[in-house]
Amino acid sequence: MPENLRCVVVAVDGSEESMKGLQWALDNVKLRTDGSLIIIHVQSPPSIAAGLNPGSIPFGGPSDVEVPAFTAAIEAHQRRITDAIITHALKICADNNYQAEVKTQVLIGDPKEKICEAVEELHADLLVMGCRSFGPIKRMFLGSVSNYCSNHVSCPVMIVKGTT
Amino acid sequence: MATKERKILVAVDEGEESAYGLSWCLKNVVTENNSKDTLVLLYVKPPHVVYTGLDGTGYLFSQEIIATMDKYKNEVADTVIDKAKKLCQDLQDVKVETRVEIGDPRDVICNVAEKMSVDMVVLGSHGYGLIKRAFLGSVSNHCAQNCKCPVLIVKRPKNVAATSTST
Repeated sequence: MPENLRCVVVAVDGSEESMKGLQWALDNVKLRTDGSLIIIHVQSPPSIAAGLNPGSIPFGGPSDVEVPAFTAAIEAHQRRITDAIITHALKICADNNYQAEVKTQVLIGDPKEKICEAVEELHADLLVMGCRSFGPIKRMFLGSVSNYCSNHVSCPVMIVKGTT
Repeated sequence: MATKERKILVAVDEGEESAYGLSWCLKNVVTENNSKDTLVLLYVKPPHVVYTGLDGTGYLFSQEIIATMDKYKNEVADTVIDKAKKLCQDLQDVKVETRVEIGDPRDVICNVAEKMSVDMVVLGSHGYGLIKRAFLGSVSNHCAQNCKCPVLIVKRPKNVAATSTST
């Protein structure tokens, strides 16, 4: 009797490739009847999303000023992005008439580390990710989440790219 | 889930990790429902290392030595393929093909995957740390980046390392 997967984690972000990964998982992964599919989205923290801080005050003004409205606006926008991604992911699940249980989770932080942490905590049996297919130079500067995760995670990793 | 015909390429080598990858694949990817799958077991022989001998720094191998080395490499290939085939024995209706190629595993796996237009590639991973990886390179890393099809990298958890895989 094959041992089916109990917990499959799919990491999504705003890219088409990660949705393709989700699509692949829906098509190909067989879960146990009590198994669940967990869709994770990792949001980058507001400070990084904002880039540098909003303009320092010149002529010797206070340097570490918090601009609450600024951070709040960034967070609100991030939340909108996250909601759009999660909704799109759930729509794909619904379109495929996916029978098993689907849970979603949103984490804030560095995607590479958060995905690895989540996989540990959830004791996932399989991690599915898309891959943005950067060339070697872009990869050197922007880094590769799928690379990092496949090296640091203890469960099998499925990297879905291109056409299926 | 509709039954589709999928071609799955599993790359095997002498290490236990790829055998674990194969058995994980058999347990979780190829189940009785999808009986139309084709499993392709690929073993890549490292290429002949040819020393020119002109500059005197390499070894000059005689024909016999080369023949012995080839015979040994073929025996290794046969053992690996047989071991892999044994793991696949219990599957009914799943076609199992085997291939032995020569060359750099990274490139050969990607090429074969493309030529046979497989639906996915399954690799074990030696689990090297950063330094070993820098010197020895990583086949799974390279394939994950360069294969056009989905790649599954199966790592062996440390607590399974002591026991041999069966079932």
